[in-house]
Amino acid sequence: MLARSLKIGIVCPYSWDTPGGVQNHIRDLAEFLIAAGHHVSVLAPAIDESKLPDYVVNAGKPISIPYNGAVARVLFGPVAFSRVRQWISNGEFDLLHLHEPAIPSISLLACWAADGPMVGTFHAAAKRQKIIFAIGPILEPAIEKLSARIAVSEAARLTLTDHLDTDAVVIPNGIYASRYHDGKAEEKWQGNTIGFIGRFEEPRKGLSVLLEALPVIARFAPDVKVFVAGPGDPSEVEQSIDPQLRHRFTFLGKISEAEKANFMSSVALYVAPNTGGESFGIILAEALAAGACVVASDIPAFEDLLGHGQFGALFKSEDSTDLAKVVIDLLRDETKRAELVAAGEMRGQSFDWDIIAQQIYSVYEMSIVGSEKVKLASDTRSWNRFLSKDEK
Amino acid sequence: MTPWVVTVFILLISLWYLTFLATRLDRLHHRVETSWANLDVLLQKRAAVALEIAHSDIADPASSLLLTGAAYQARDADIKSRSAAESGLSGALGLLLEDSQDLATAADNALLTELSALTDKIRVAIALHTDAVTRTQMVRSKLIVKLFRLAGTAPLPVTYEFESDVL
Repeated sequence: MLARSLKIGIVCPYSWDTPGGVQNHIRDLAEFLIAAGHHVSVLAPAIDESKLPDYVVNAGKPISIPYNGAVARVLFGPVAFSRVRQWISNGEFDLLHLHEPAIPSISLLACWAADGPMVGTFHAAAKRQKIIFAIGPILEPAIEKLSARIAVSEAARLTLTDHLDTDAVVIPNGIYASRYHDGKAEEKWQGNTIGFIGRFEEPRKGLSVLLEALPVIARFAPDVKVFVAGPGDPSEVEQSIDPQLRHRFTFLGKISEAEKANFMSSVALYVAPNTGGESFGIILAEALAAGACVVASDIPAFEDLLGHGQFGALFKSEDSTDLAKVVIDLLRDETKRAELVAAGEMRGQSFDWDIIAQQIYSVYEMSIVGSEKVKLASDTRSWNRFLSKDEK
Repeated sequence: MTPWVVTVFILLISLWYLTFLATRLDRLHHRVETSWANLDVLLQKRAAVALEIAHSDIADPASSLLLTGAAYQARDADIKSRSAAESGLSGALGLLLEDSQDLATAADNALLTELSALTDKIRVAIALHTDAVTRTQMVRSKLIVKLFRLAGTAPLPVTYEFESDVL
Protein backbone atom coordinates (compact mmCIF):
# COMPACT_ATOMS: atom_id res chain seq x y z
CA MET A 1 0.00 0.00 0.00
CA LEU A 2 2.64 2.51 0.97
CA ALA A 3 5.48 3.33 -1.34
CA ARG A 4 8.16 4.65 0.96
CA SER A 5 8.77 4.98 4.63
CA LEU A 6 8.17 8.49 5.96
CA LYS A 7 8.99 10.31 9.15
CA ILE A 8 5.71 11.78 10.27
CA GLY A 9 5.18 14.12 13.18
CA ILE A 10 1.65 14.34 14.56
CA VAL A 11 0.60 17.02 17.02
CA CYS A 12 -2.29 16.34 19.39
CA PRO A 13 -3.69 19.52 21.00
CA TYR A 14 -5.55 17.81 23.86
CA SER A 15 -4.20 16.01 26.87
CA TRP A 16 -3.30 12.43 25.96
CA ASP A 17 -4.62 10.93 29.21
CA THR A 18 -8.16 12.27 28.95
CA PRO A 19 -10.40 10.21 26.67
CA GLY A 20 -11.76 11.98 23.61
CA GLY A 21 -12.54 11.62 19.94
CA VAL A 22 -9.51 13.53 18.68
CA GLN A 23 -7.12 11.56 20.89
CA ASN A 24 -8.60 8.22 19.80
CA HIS A 25 -8.36 9.25 16.19
CA ILE A 26 -4.70 10.20 16.54
CA ARG A 27 -3.88 7.01 18.45
CA ASP A 28 -5.48 4.78 15.82
CA LEU A 29 -3.92 6.73 12.95
CA ALA A 30 -0.47 6.66 14.51
CA GLU A 31 -0.68 2.92 15.19
CA PHE A 32 -1.93 2.25 11.68
CA LEU A 33 0.91 4.26 10.14
CA ILE A 34 3.51 2.56 12.35
CA ALA A 35 2.14 -0.85 11.36
CA ALA A 36 2.49 0.23 7.72
CA GLY A 37 6.21 0.85 8.27
CA HIS A 38 6.42 4.60 8.88
CA HIS A 39 8.19 6.40 11.69
CA VAL A 40 5.66 8.31 13.72
CA SER A 41 6.17 10.67 16.62
CA VAL A 42 3.17 12.19 18.39
CA LEU A 43 3.63 15.37 20.42
CA ALA A 44 0.91 15.72 23.05
CA PRO A 45 0.38 17.31 26.45
CA ALA A 46 0.10 14.73 29.22
CA ILE A 47 -0.39 14.68 32.96
CA ASP A 48 1.17 11.32 33.71
CA GLU A 49 4.27 10.71 31.64
CA SER A 50 4.77 7.09 32.74
CA LYS A 51 1.65 5.82 30.97
CA LEU A 52 2.51 7.13 27.51
CA PRO A 53 3.11 4.71 24.63
CA ASP A 54 6.64 4.98 23.25
CA TYR A 55 5.65 6.93 20.11
CA VAL A 56 4.24 9.80 22.20
CA VAL A 57 6.45 12.70 23.28
CA ASN A 58 5.25 14.66 26.29
CA ALA A 59 4.92 18.39 25.71
CA GLY A 60 4.11 19.32 29.30
CA LYS A 61 1.17 19.54 31.70
CA PRO A 62 -2.06 20.80 30.12
CA ILE A 63 -4.31 23.52 31.52
CA SER A 64 -8.10 23.45 31.38
CA ILE A 65 -9.96 26.07 29.37
CA PRO A 66 -13.64 26.22 28.41
CA TYR A 67 -14.12 25.65 24.68
CA ASN A 68 -17.13 24.83 22.51
CA GLY A 69 -19.42 23.91 25.39
CA ALA A 70 -16.96 21.63 27.16
CA VAL A 71 -13.68 21.86 29.02
CA ALA A 72 -10.64 21.35 26.84
CA ARG A 73 -7.30 20.40 28.34
CA VAL A 74 -4.73 22.13 26.17
CA LEU A 75 -1.29 23.60 26.45
CA PHE A 76 0.42 26.77 25.25
CA GLY A 77 2.85 29.40 26.43
CA PRO A 78 6.55 30.15 25.99
CA VAL A 79 7.81 26.95 27.62
CA ALA A 80 5.54 24.83 25.44
CA PHE A 81 6.64 26.84 22.40
CA SER A 82 10.28 26.04 23.00
CA ARG A 83 9.46 22.34 23.46
CA VAL A 84 7.55 22.35 20.19
CA ARG A 85 10.49 23.99 18.43
CA GLN A 86 12.86 21.46 19.91
CA TRP A 87 10.66 18.55 18.83
CA ILE A 88 10.49 19.91 15.29
CA SER A 89 14.19 20.52 14.94
CA ASN A 90 15.16 17.14 16.45
CA GLY A 91 12.55 15.18 14.52
CA GLU A 92 13.69 15.87 10.94
CA PHE A 93 10.18 15.08 9.78
CA ASP A 94 9.10 14.68 6.19
CA LEU A 95 5.71 15.96 7.15
CA LEU A 96 3.78 17.41 10.09
CA HIS A 97 0.15 16.51 10.69
CA LEU A 98 -1.47 19.07 13.00
CA HIS A 99 -4.82 18.40 14.58
CA GLU A 100 -7.22 21.23 15.35
CA PRO A 101 -4.67 23.96 14.52
CA ALA A 102 -7.18 26.79 14.85
CA ILE A 103 -7.50 26.70 18.63
CA PRO A 104 -4.84 27.99 21.01
CA SER A 105 -2.78 24.86 21.52
CA ILE A 106 0.55 23.26 20.67
CA SER A 107 -0.87 22.51 17.21
CA LEU A 108 -1.10 26.21 16.50
CA LEU A 109 2.35 26.77 17.99
CA ALA A 110 3.76 24.05 15.73
CA CYS A 111 2.07 25.63 12.75
CA TRP A 112 3.70 28.89 13.68
CA ALA A 113 7.14 27.47 14.24
CA ALA A 114 7.48 25.10 11.31
CA ASP A 115 8.09 25.56 7.63
CA GLY A 116 7.58 22.79 5.09
CA PRO A 117 4.97 20.15 4.25
CA MET A 118 2.13 20.41 6.77
CA VAL A 119 -1.34 18.90 6.85
CA GLY A 120 -4.03 20.11 9.24
CA THR A 121 -7.13 18.23 10.36
CA PHE A 122 -10.12 20.17 11.66
CA HIS A 123 -12.42 18.22 13.96
CA ALA A 124 -14.72 20.72 15.61
CA ALA A 125 -18.04 21.86 14.31
CA ALA A 126 -19.16 25.07 15.97
CA LYS A 127 -21.61 27.81 15.29
CA ARG A 128 -20.33 31.14 13.97
CA GLN A 129 -18.46 32.82 16.79
CA LYS A 130 -17.56 36.48 16.92
CA ILE A 131 -14.31 35.79 18.72
CA ILE A 132 -12.93 33.93 15.71
CA PHE A 133 -13.49 36.98 13.53
CA ALA A 134 -11.47 39.02 15.96
CA ILE A 135 -8.49 36.70 15.93
CA GLY A 136 -8.97 35.61 12.31
CA PRO A 137 -6.39 38.01 10.85
CA ILE A 138 -3.79 36.65 13.27
CA LEU A 139 -4.68 33.01 12.57
CA GLU A 140 -4.89 33.34 8.82
CA PRO A 141 -1.19 33.60 7.95
CA ALA A 142 -0.52 30.58 10.15
CA ILE A 143 -3.35 28.42 8.80
CA GLU A 144 -2.29 29.42 5.31
CA LYS A 145 1.00 27.58 5.77
CA LEU A 146 -0.79 24.23 5.79
CA SER A 147 -0.34 22.63 2.40
CA ALA A 148 -3.55 20.67 2.85
CA ARG A 149 -6.54 20.89 5.13
CA ILE A 150 -8.74 17.97 6.12
CA ALA A 151 -12.15 18.26 7.75
CA VAL A 152 -13.63 15.20 9.45
CA SER A 153 -17.17 15.94 8.34
CA GLU A 154 -19.24 18.25 6.21
CA ALA A 155 -20.17 20.12 9.40
CA ALA A 156 -16.52 20.66 10.29
CA ARG A 157 -15.81 21.83 6.75
CA LEU A 158 -18.61 24.40 6.92
CA THR A 159 -17.23 25.68 10.24
CA LEU A 160 -13.88 26.16 8.55
CA THR A 161 -15.22 27.96 5.48
CA ASP A 162 -17.37 30.15 7.70
CA HIS A 163 -14.66 31.14 10.13
CA LEU A 164 -11.42 31.17 8.22
CA ASP A 165 -12.56 31.49 4.64
CA THR A 166 -10.65 28.45 3.45
CA ASP A 167 -11.74 25.15 2.00
CA ALA A 168 -10.92 21.60 3.10
CA VAL A 169 -11.03 18.05 1.87
CA VAL A 170 -13.49 15.89 3.80
CA ILE A 171 -12.00 12.66 5.15
CA PRO A 172 -14.08 11.05 7.90
CA ASN A 173 -12.74 9.55 11.10
CA GLY A 174 -11.68 5.93 10.88
CA ILE A 175 -12.78 2.86 12.81
CA TYR A 176 -11.47 -0.70 12.90
CA ALA A 177 -14.57 -1.96 11.13
CA SER A 178 -13.65 -5.64 11.33
CA ARG A 179 -13.67 -5.54 15.14
CA TYR A 180 -17.30 -4.43 15.08
CA HIS A 181 -18.22 -6.65 12.17
CA ASP A 182 -17.12 -9.66 14.23
CA GLY A 183 -19.42 -8.72 17.14
CA LYS A 184 -21.52 -11.68 18.28
CA ALA A 185 -25.18 -11.35 19.12
CA GLU A 186 -25.80 -12.20 22.79
CA GLU A 187 -29.16 -13.48 23.88
CA LYS A 188 -29.42 -11.32 27.00
CA TRP A 189 -29.57 -8.18 24.85
CA GLN A 190 -31.82 -9.54 22.10
CA GLY A 191 -35.56 -9.18 21.64
CA ASN A 192 -37.44 -5.90 21.54
CA THR A 193 -34.47 -4.02 22.91
CA ILE A 194 -33.15 -0.49 22.60
CA GLY A 195 -29.46 0.26 23.18
CA PHE A 196 -27.82 3.53 24.21
CA ILE A 197 -24.10 4.17 24.70
CA GLY A 198 -22.56 7.33 26.10
CA ARG A 199 -21.93 9.46 29.15
CA PHE A 200 -25.63 9.60 29.96
CA GLU A 201 -25.26 12.30 32.61
CA GLU A 202 -24.30 14.86 29.95
CA PRO A 203 -27.48 16.57 28.74
CA ARG A 204 -26.22 16.82 25.13
CA LYS A 205 -26.13 13.03 24.84
CA GLY A 206 -29.91 13.24 24.96
CA LEU A 207 -30.87 10.31 27.21
CA SER A 208 -33.74 12.44 28.56
CA VAL A 209 -35.33 12.51 25.09
CA LEU A 210 -35.36 8.71 25.09
CA LEU A 211 -36.79 8.67 28.64
CA GLU A 212 -39.64 10.92 27.57
CA ALA A 213 -40.40 8.77 24.55
CA LEU A 214 -40.48 5.51 26.48
CA PRO A 215 -44.03 5.65 27.95
CA VAL A 216 -45.47 5.87 24.43
CA ILE A 217 -43.12 3.19 23.09
CA ALA A 218 -44.03 0.88 26.01
CA ARG A 219 -47.73 1.20 25.22
CA PHE A 220 -47.24 -0.12 21.69
CA ALA A 221 -44.44 -2.56 22.41
CA PRO A 222 -45.15 -3.95 25.90
CA ASP A 223 -42.03 -6.10 26.13
CA VAL A 224 -39.57 -3.32 25.21
CA LYS A 225 -36.34 -3.11 27.22
CA VAL A 226 -33.71 -0.38 27.33
CA PHE A 227 -30.00 -0.99 27.95
CA VAL A 228 -27.86 2.00 28.81
CA ALA A 229 -24.08 1.60 28.66
CA GLY A 230 -21.51 4.20 29.59
CA PRO A 231 -19.69 5.63 32.59
CA GLY A 232 -21.66 7.54 35.20
CA ASP A 233 -23.83 7.24 38.28
CA PRO A 234 -27.30 5.93 37.31
CA SER A 235 -29.07 6.61 40.63
CA GLU A 236 -30.05 10.17 39.77
CA VAL A 237 -31.36 9.21 36.33
CA GLU A 238 -33.27 6.27 37.81
CA GLN A 239 -35.03 8.65 40.20
CA SER A 240 -36.41 10.60 37.26
CA ILE A 241 -37.90 7.51 35.60
CA ASP A 242 -41.57 6.66 36.12
CA PRO A 243 -41.57 3.81 38.73
CA GLN A 244 -43.78 1.67 36.51
CA LEU A 245 -41.18 1.80 33.77
CA ARG A 246 -38.12 1.53 35.94
CA HIS A 247 -37.79 -2.24 35.58
CA ARG A 248 -37.40 -1.86 31.81
CA PHE A 249 -34.09 -0.08 32.25
CA THR A 250 -30.75 -1.78 32.79
CA PHE A 251 -27.66 0.28 33.42
CA LEU A 252 -24.58 -1.65 32.35
CA GLY A 253 -21.90 0.83 33.38
CA LYS A 254 -18.76 1.22 31.27
CA ILE A 255 -18.35 -1.67 28.84
CA SER A 256 -15.21 -2.90 27.05
CA GLU A 257 -14.57 -2.56 23.32
CA ALA A 258 -15.39 -6.24 22.72
CA GLU A 259 -18.58 -5.99 24.75
CA LYS A 260 -19.51 -2.87 22.82
CA ALA A 261 -19.32 -4.73 19.50
CA ASN A 262 -21.45 -7.58 20.86
CA PHE A 263 -23.89 -5.12 22.41
CA MET A 264 -24.39 -3.25 19.13
CA SER A 265 -24.81 -6.49 17.18
CA SER A 266 -27.47 -7.73 19.62
CA VAL A 267 -29.92 -4.90 20.28
CA ALA A 268 -32.89 -4.47 17.95
CA LEU A 269 -32.39 -0.71 17.74
CA TYR A 270 -29.43 1.49 18.58
CA VAL A 271 -30.62 4.95 19.56
CA ALA A 272 -28.46 8.11 19.47
CA PRO A 273 -30.64 11.01 20.65
CA ASN A 274 -27.75 13.52 20.89
CA THR A 275 -28.92 17.10 20.86
CA GLY A 276 -25.76 18.68 19.45
CA GLY A 277 -22.04 19.23 19.91
CA GLU A 278 -21.22 16.31 17.63
CA SER A 279 -18.97 16.92 14.68
CA PHE A 280 -18.76 13.43 13.27
CA GLY A 281 -20.48 10.75 15.38
CA ILE A 282 -17.93 7.95 15.44
CA ILE A 283 -20.24 5.85 17.63
CA LEU A 284 -22.78 5.70 14.80
CA ALA A 285 -20.11 4.53 12.35
CA GLU A 286 -19.22 1.79 14.83
CA ALA A 287 -22.86 0.83 15.33
CA LEU A 288 -23.40 0.61 11.57
CA ALA A 289 -20.31 -1.57 11.15
CA ALA A 290 -21.57 -3.85 13.92
CA GLY A 291 -24.80 -4.35 12.03
CA ALA A 292 -27.08 -2.37 14.31
CA CYS A 293 -30.25 -0.72 13.14
CA VAL A 294 -29.58 2.92 14.03
CA VAL A 295 -32.08 5.58 15.07
CA ALA A 296 -30.48 9.01 15.47
CA SER A 297 -31.45 12.64 15.91
CA ASP A 298 -31.26 14.74 12.75
CA ILE A 299 -28.35 16.98 13.83
CA PRO A 300 -26.13 17.82 10.80
CA ALA A 301 -23.32 15.40 11.62
CA PHE A 302 -25.67 12.42 12.05
CA GLU A 303 -27.79 13.30 9.04
CA ASP A 304 -24.65 13.37 6.96
CA LEU A 305 -23.29 10.10 8.35
CA LEU A 306 -26.58 8.28 7.87
CA GLY A 307 -26.94 9.52 4.29
CA HIS A 308 -30.14 11.45 5.11
CA GLY A 309 -31.92 8.34 6.33
CA GLN A 310 -30.51 5.89 3.79
CA PHE A 311 -28.37 3.95 6.29
CA GLY A 312 -30.35 4.51 9.47
CA ALA A 313 -33.55 6.17 10.65
CA LEU A 314 -33.61 9.84 11.69
CA PHE A 315 -35.96 11.70 14.01
CA LYS A 316 -36.41 15.37 14.79
CA SER A 317 -33.77 16.32 17.36
CA GLU A 318 -35.12 16.84 20.91
CA ASP A 319 -38.60 15.71 19.79
CA SER A 320 -39.54 12.67 21.89
CA THR A 321 -42.88 12.16 20.11
CA ASP A 322 -41.11 11.81 16.79
CA LEU A 323 -38.55 9.46 18.34
CA ALA A 324 -41.35 7.27 19.74
CA LYS A 325 -43.03 7.14 16.35
CA VAL A 326 -39.85 6.14 14.51
CA VAL A 327 -38.96 3.52 17.13
CA ILE A 328 -42.43 1.93 17.13
CA ASP A 329 -42.52 1.79 13.33
CA LEU A 330 -39.18 0.05 13.24
CA LEU A 331 -39.89 -2.38 16.07
CA ARG A 332 -42.98 -3.56 14.21
CA ASP A 333 -41.42 -3.74 10.76
CA GLU A 334 -38.72 -6.37 10.65
CA THR A 335 -38.10 -6.14 6.89
CA LYS A 336 -37.51 -2.39 7.08
CA ARG A 337 -35.02 -3.03 9.87
CA ALA A 338 -33.20 -5.69 7.86
CA GLU A 339 -32.96 -3.30 4.91
CA LEU A 340 -31.45 -0.54 7.01
CA VAL A 341 -29.00 -2.97 8.61
CA ALA A 342 -27.83 -4.27 5.21
CA ALA A 343 -27.33 -0.75 3.85
CA GLY A 344 -25.76 0.40 7.11
CA GLU A 345 -23.19 -2.39 7.23
CA MET A 346 -21.86 -1.39 3.80
CA ARG A 347 -21.68 2.20 4.96
CA GLY A 348 -19.89 1.19 8.17
CA GLN A 349 -17.21 -0.65 6.18
CA SER A 350 -16.40 2.54 4.28
CA PHE A 351 -15.06 4.05 7.53
CA ASP A 352 -12.53 1.27 7.95
CA TRP A 353 -8.98 2.42 8.67
CA ASP A 354 -7.72 0.58 5.58
CA ILE A 355 -9.69 2.98 3.43
CA ILE A 356 -9.46 6.12 5.57
CA ALA A 357 -5.70 5.86 6.17
CA GLN A 358 -5.16 5.42 2.43
CA GLN A 359 -7.06 8.65 1.82
CA ILE A 360 -5.07 10.49 4.46
CA TYR A 361 -1.85 9.07 3.05
CA SER A 362 -2.64 10.29 -0.46
CA VAL A 363 -3.09 13.78 0.99
CA TYR A 364 0.33 13.35 2.67
CA GLU A 365 1.86 12.39 -0.66
CA MET A 366 0.43 15.44 -2.36
CA SER A 367 1.80 17.73 0.33
CA ILE A 368 5.26 16.26 0.17
CA VAL A 369 5.88 16.34 -3.60
CA GLY A 370 8.62 18.79 -4.45
CA SER A 371 9.10 19.99 -0.89
CA GLU A 372 11.91 19.51 1.51
CA LYS A 373 11.80 18.34 5.10
CA VAL A 374 10.08 20.24 7.85
CA LYS A 375 12.28 22.98 9.29
CA LEU A 376 11.93 25.72 11.82
CA ALA A 377 10.51 28.78 10.15
CA SER A 378 12.94 31.00 12.01
CA ASP A 379 15.93 29.25 10.38
CA THR A 380 14.75 30.18 6.93
CA ARG A 381 14.01 33.83 7.59
CA SER A 382 16.58 36.06 6.01
CA TRP A 383 17.08 38.49 8.88
CA ASN A 384 17.64 35.61 11.29
CA ARG A 385 20.17 34.05 8.99
CA PHE A 386 21.85 37.43 8.87
CA LEU A 387 21.78 37.82 12.65
CA SER A 388 23.11 34.36 13.42
CA LYS A 389 26.01 34.98 11.07
CA ASP A 390 26.81 38.12 12.99
CA GLU A 391 26.92 36.27 16.28
CA LYS A 392 29.46 33.75 15.10
CA MET B 1 16.32 62.60 20.37
CA THR B 2 12.98 60.86 21.06
CA PRO B 3 11.39 61.58 17.65
CA TRP B 4 14.39 59.88 16.11
CA VAL B 5 13.92 56.76 18.18
CA VAL B 6 10.23 56.62 17.31
CA THR B 7 10.89 57.08 13.61
CA VAL B 8 13.50 54.34 13.58
CA PHE B 9 11.18 52.09 15.53
CA ILE B 10 8.28 52.62 13.12
CA LEU B 11 10.60 52.08 10.18
CA LEU B 12 11.86 48.83 11.63
CA ILE B 13 8.33 47.60 12.31
CA SER B 14 7.15 48.39 8.80
CA LEU B 15 10.24 46.76 7.37
CA TRP B 16 9.52 43.67 9.38
CA TYR B 17 5.91 43.67 8.22
CA LEU B 18 6.93 43.97 4.59
CA THR B 19 9.37 41.06 4.78
CA PHE B 20 6.74 39.07 6.64
CA LEU B 21 4.22 39.67 3.87
CA ALA B 22 6.79 38.85 1.22
CA THR B 23 7.64 35.54 2.92
CA ARG B 24 3.97 34.76 3.17
CA LEU B 25 3.46 35.43 -0.53
CA ASP B 26 6.50 33.41 -1.47
CA ARG B 27 5.15 30.47 0.48
CA LEU B 28 1.78 30.79 -1.21
CA HIS B 29 3.34 30.85 -4.68
CA HIS B 30 5.30 27.78 -3.73
CA ARG B 31 2.05 26.09 -2.69
CA VAL B 32 0.41 26.99 -6.00
CA GLU B 33 3.31 25.46 -7.90
CA THR B 34 3.50 22.22 -5.95
CA SER B 35 -0.25 21.68 -5.98
CA TRP B 36 -0.29 22.29 -9.72
CA ALA B 37 2.58 19.84 -10.22
CA ASN B 38 0.58 17.24 -8.29
CA LEU B 39 -2.54 17.79 -10.32
CA ASP B 40 -0.56 17.70 -13.57
CA VAL B 41 1.03 14.34 -12.75
CA LEU B 42 -2.33 12.84 -11.77
CA LEU B 43 -4.00 14.10 -14.93
CA GLN B 44 -1.22 12.65 -17.08
CA LYS B 45 -1.68 9.33 -15.32
CA ARG B 46 -5.38 9.47 -15.94
CA ALA B 47 -4.85 10.06 -19.66
CA ALA B 48 -2.58 7.00 -19.74
CA VAL B 49 -5.20 4.86 -17.99
CA ALA B 50 -7.86 6.18 -20.36
CA LEU B 51 -5.75 5.03 -23.32
CA GLU B 52 -5.39 1.60 -21.76
CA ILE B 53 -9.12 1.40 -21.25
CA ALA B 54 -9.64 2.43 -24.87
CA HIS B 55 -7.48 -0.49 -25.98
CA SER B 56 -9.14 -2.98 -23.63
CA ASP B 57 -12.37 -4.94 -24.08
CA ILE B 58 -14.35 -2.50 -21.95
CA ALA B 59 -14.71 -0.07 -24.81
CA ASP B 60 -16.59 -0.79 -28.01
CA PRO B 61 -14.87 0.47 -31.21
CA ALA B 62 -16.82 3.71 -31.35
CA SER B 63 -16.22 4.81 -27.75
CA SER B 64 -12.64 3.53 -28.03
CA LEU B 65 -12.08 6.02 -30.85
CA LEU B 66 -13.71 8.81 -28.88
CA LEU B 67 -11.65 8.02 -25.78
CA THR B 68 -8.35 7.77 -27.65
CA GLY B 69 -9.00 11.13 -29.25
CA ALA B 70 -9.88 12.76 -25.95
CA ALA B 71 -6.87 11.24 -24.16
CA TYR B 72 -4.42 12.46 -26.78
CA GLN B 73 -6.00 15.89 -26.75
CA ALA B 74 -5.65 16.07 -22.98
CA ARG B 75 -2.01 15.03 -23.18
CA ASP B 76 -0.99 17.48 -25.88
CA ALA B 77 -3.06 20.46 -24.77
CA ASP B 78 -1.18 23.63 -23.87
CA ILE B 79 -1.90 25.41 -20.63
CA LYS B 80 -4.75 27.50 -22.05
CA SER B 81 -6.77 24.71 -23.59
CA ARG B 82 -5.88 22.25 -20.85
CA SER B 83 -9.04 22.51 -18.78
CA ALA B 84 -11.30 22.13 -21.79
CA ALA B 85 -9.37 19.08 -22.95
CA GLU B 86 -9.41 17.47 -19.48
CA SER B 87 -13.14 18.10 -19.10
CA GLY B 88 -13.59 16.49 -22.52
CA LEU B 89 -11.73 13.42 -21.30
CA SER B 90 -13.85 13.32 -18.14
CA GLY B 91 -16.95 13.44 -20.31
CA ALA B 92 -15.74 10.64 -22.57
CA LEU B 93 -14.82 8.46 -19.58
CA GLY B 94 -18.14 9.20 -17.92
CA LEU B 95 -20.10 8.20 -21.05
CA LEU B 96 -18.20 4.95 -21.33
CA LEU B 97 -18.37 3.98 -17.65
CA GLU B 98 -22.08 4.66 -17.40
CA ASP B 99 -23.03 1.65 -19.50
CA SER B 100 -20.05 -0.64 -19.05
CA GLN B 101 -20.14 -0.98 -15.27
CA ASP B 102 -21.62 -4.48 -15.24
CA LEU B 103 -19.96 -5.75 -18.42
CA ALA B 104 -16.41 -5.58 -17.10
CA THR B 105 -14.37 -8.76 -16.61
CA ALA B 106 -11.91 -9.27 -13.76
CA ALA B 107 -8.90 -8.05 -15.74
CA ASP B 108 -10.72 -4.92 -16.84
CA ASN B 109 -11.96 -4.37 -13.33
CA ALA B 110 -8.39 -3.67 -12.23
CA LEU B 111 -8.27 -0.83 -14.74
CA LEU B 112 -11.56 0.57 -13.56
CA THR B 113 -10.47 0.44 -9.90
CA GLU B 114 -7.28 2.24 -10.83
CA LEU B 115 -9.30 4.88 -12.61
CA SER B 116 -11.64 5.43 -9.67
CA ALA B 117 -8.69 5.66 -7.26
CA LEU B 118 -7.10 8.24 -9.56
CA THR B 119 -10.36 10.15 -9.80
CA ASP B 120 -10.53 10.37 -6.01
CA LYS B 121 -6.99 11.69 -5.86
CA ILE B 122 -7.64 14.18 -8.63
CA ARG B 123 -10.63 15.52 -6.76
CA VAL B 124 -8.43 16.16 -3.71
CA ALA B 125 -5.66 17.67 -5.84
CA ILE B 126 -8.11 20.06 -7.49
CA ALA B 127 -9.42 21.19 -4.12
CA LEU B 128 -5.88 21.81 -2.83
CA HIS B 129 -4.87 23.70 -5.94
CA THR B 130 -7.98 25.85 -6.08
CA ASP B 131 -7.54 26.78 -2.44
CA ALA B 132 -3.90 27.74 -2.94
CA VAL B 133 -4.79 29.87 -5.95
CA THR B 134 -7.66 31.72 -4.27
CA ARG B 135 -5.56 32.43 -1.18
CA THR B 136 -2.74 33.78 -3.31
CA GLN B 137 -5.09 35.97 -5.31
CA MET B 138 -6.57 37.27 -2.06
CA VAL B 139 -3.24 38.27 -0.55
CA ARG B 140 -2.04 39.74 -3.82
CA SER B 141 -5.08 41.97 -4.08
CA LYS B 142 -4.00 43.81 -0.92
CA LEU B 143 -3.05 47.41 -1.61
CA ILE B 144 0.20 47.23 0.28
CA VAL B 145 1.32 44.20 -1.74
CA LYS B 146 0.63 46.01 -4.98
CA LEU B 147 2.23 49.22 -3.79
CA PHE B 148 5.53 47.65 -2.82
CA ARG B 149 5.46 45.02 -5.59
CA LEU B 150 5.94 42.31 -3.01
CA ALA B 151 4.94 39.59 -5.46
CA GLY B 152 7.96 40.47 -7.60
CA THR B 153 7.80 39.07 -11.09
CA ALA B 154 5.73 35.99 -10.25
CA PRO B 155 2.71 35.69 -12.54
CA LEU B 156 -0.74 35.93 -10.96
CA PRO B 157 -2.00 32.36 -10.67
CA VAL B 158 -5.25 31.48 -12.40
CA THR B 159 -7.84 29.01 -11.20
CA TYR B 160 -8.00 25.82 -13.09
CA GLU B 161 -11.55 25.68 -14.36
CA PHE B 162 -12.18 22.03 -13.82
CA GLU B 163 -15.79 21.21 -13.29
CA SER B 164 -15.54 18.72 -10.49
CA ASP B 165 -18.95 17.28 -11.25
CA VAL B 166 -17.79 15.77 -14.53
CA LEU B 167 -15.20 13.70 -12.72
